[in-house]
Amino acid sequence: MIQLDPLILGDNQFFGINHMSQEKGQQLAERFSDLNNIYRAYHTAQDLGIRAFMLNSNEKAAEICDYLRAHKSQFPGMVLYPSIPYPHKYANQVAEKGIAATIQNVLSGQSAMGLLGMAGQGLGLLTGDLTKLMTLLVDVEMKMFKGLDFKTIYLQNVITDLLLGLEFKEIFIEYARHLERNYKVTPGFLTLNIPKLSAFLQECGIQNATICGSVNKSGYTMSPDAASYETYFKGPQPYPIMAMSIFASGAIPPREAVAYVQNLGIKSIVFGASSRIHMLETMDLIQMSNRA
Amino acid sequence: MTAPPPSTPTPQPAQEVARKTVKAAIIGVGRMGLTHLSILGGHPFLKVTAAADGKSLITTAISKYRTDIKLYDDYKKMLQEQDLDAVLIATPPHLHAPMIDAALDRNLSIFVEKPFTLDADIARRLAQRAATQKGAFHQVGYVARFGDSYLKVKSLVDQGILGRLISFQMEFQGCTVLKKENGEGWRGDRKTGGGCLHEFGSHGVDMLLNLFGKPSRVVGSSLPSIYSLHVEDMVTSTFLYDNNLVGTIYVNWSDPSYRKPMMRVNILGENGRIQADLYGIKIYMNKDNPHYKKGWNTLTLPELTEPVPFYVRGNEFTRQLYAFAEGVRNPSAINRSSFADGADTQEVLDMIFADAGMEK
Repeated sequence: MIQLDPLILGDNQFFGINHMSQEKGQQLAERFSDLNNIYRAYHTAQDLGIRAFMLNSNEKAAEICDYLRAHKSQFPGMVLYPSIPYPHKYANQVAEKGIAATIQNVLSGQSAMGLLGMAGQGLGLLTGDLTKLMTLLVDVEMKMFKGLDFKTIYLQNVITDLLLGLEFKEIFIEYARHLERNYKVTPGFLTLNIPKLSAFLQECGIQNATICGSVNKSGYTMSPDAASYETYFKGPQPYPIMAMSIFASGAIPPREAVAYVQNLGIKSIVFGASSRIHMLETMDLIQMSNRA
Repeated sequence: MTAPPPSTPTPQPAQEVARKTVKAAIIGVGRMGLTHLSILGGHPFLKVTAAADGKSLITTAISKYRTDIKLYDDYKKMLQEQDLDAVLIATPPHLHAPMIDAALDRNLSIFVEKPFTLDADIARRLAQRAATQKGAFHQVGYVARFGDSYLKVKSLVDQGILGRLISFQMEFQGCTVLKKENGEGWRGDRKTGGGCLHEFGSHGVDMLLNLFGKPSRVVGSSLPSIYSLHVEDMVTSTFLYDNNLVGTIYVNWSDPSYRKPMMRVNILGENGRIQADLYGIKIYMNKDNPHYKKGWNTLTLPELTEPVPFYVRGNEFTRQLYAFAEGVRNPSAINRSSFADGADTQEVLDMIFADAGMEK
């Protein structure tokens, strides 16, 4: 079973994503539109002893990965938790052009040889095979992370939860198989429906997986509700869980937020912080600070 | 589930209704149809048993992985053969009207994606026809009406905390269309429901109607194109009301500085101001009142959010379909986005087109 890092630095803060305020999000977007400020935050985190980083495959991630590869010696022990795909990239195209055209567009950005090489089994799109197509898109998204160490690959919640509702079991099974076989990692799923997803993965017969989802005291982005999550965490848990949104975008005081998650027995937290002081605060709270 | 206590009385007819499982079909399994199918996955009492659409990647996947859903390429045949309580229509908007008529012929409950139709007269006729049908529920997919932040704004305005309303500004921006278009496909043509006003701006117009009612006049409307060949990428208009309320709407779906669509509304009344967006609400009160203090009050999204039974792409999408399912089972349930509402919004969309000197 995968051993998740206790503390993972997330990336929402670098890309102007803030669930509390548009202004705050915009301020962060402005600050981190200079990628050097993101690299600086990574170095700070590394100095403080954080080794694990979640990174979504958005437009800037390719360049960030280039930097991390070029400076690998400065990040000893660094491990990434990629999340794929960048949902808005697809969402906007799908809204504008429809689903088929979007897929064609994404794939046409790849060379024909590259595509065939990646697919290995023929193009899903041509055969109308959504399962093969899914593995192909994983390969397209994962190209940017080549040469970096990663522990799992998380499928973004927009995709996970859509497929979960559609009850397309075979796609989950094939995605999991593809990650285990071709990337040698435990398949990961981001979701806003942890109890439902966990039950579904069991039904699919997927034994080896990890789930990342919101867990916080106020029940924010936890479907169906906080009580169901609390019941879930009291029972046997088939999959290691990484908690996100533990502060509910700042609505919960940090100490209470961490205590809630730890009391549920969760041992891995992904958090957002952009300054040394905020990173230290969270580290202190979960008792892994390197300070003497 | 806990067993009912032994003293539970025999169920009354109303409770019988509450237990009924309802069967629904989806017409059009594109982006929205697929989202609806997903949201309804695991719904406690509404089951999707059939779908109609042409052959596509998605219908192929449904036929392979969801053998419990009977697929048709002809919706008329589906309506004829299937024993249904409800139908969800998620095709391009110019196809809605005949499908709605066919579903009304069978007295089915209907959920139709927005915009309701592309013509106010047709919309009004369909709304009137639906109103004569008892035992069925008819909803238009103006999903923004079901947003956490918006529901609170609506209740604050309805409670009258702002007193007499003076003015409003609505802004709605996004980055849907950022490149020169070839004008192909249904989205590139106004006659098939393409363009910023029908596809994107209709949500903003609908929300204004839901908050303030129908304006008596719209003036100063413009519908400029930025990238699109045959349709507008922006909408600006001023709404005038008989009670002297005045407001503006600005919609732009070609703004790359927005990572995702963002709607903001700013309402001024004689008692204060409400500013709301997806992230929460700020309320300025001129004086203390029983609920809010004088000055600024902030309601953040985590405070305003009520989790939904199953999250797919925003609480509002789940909430709207669960409300519809409730309506199918119990047609006297509250209807937050009725056909009559959809027809009103259609009329104002037509007023904006006419004011801008555009053909629909």
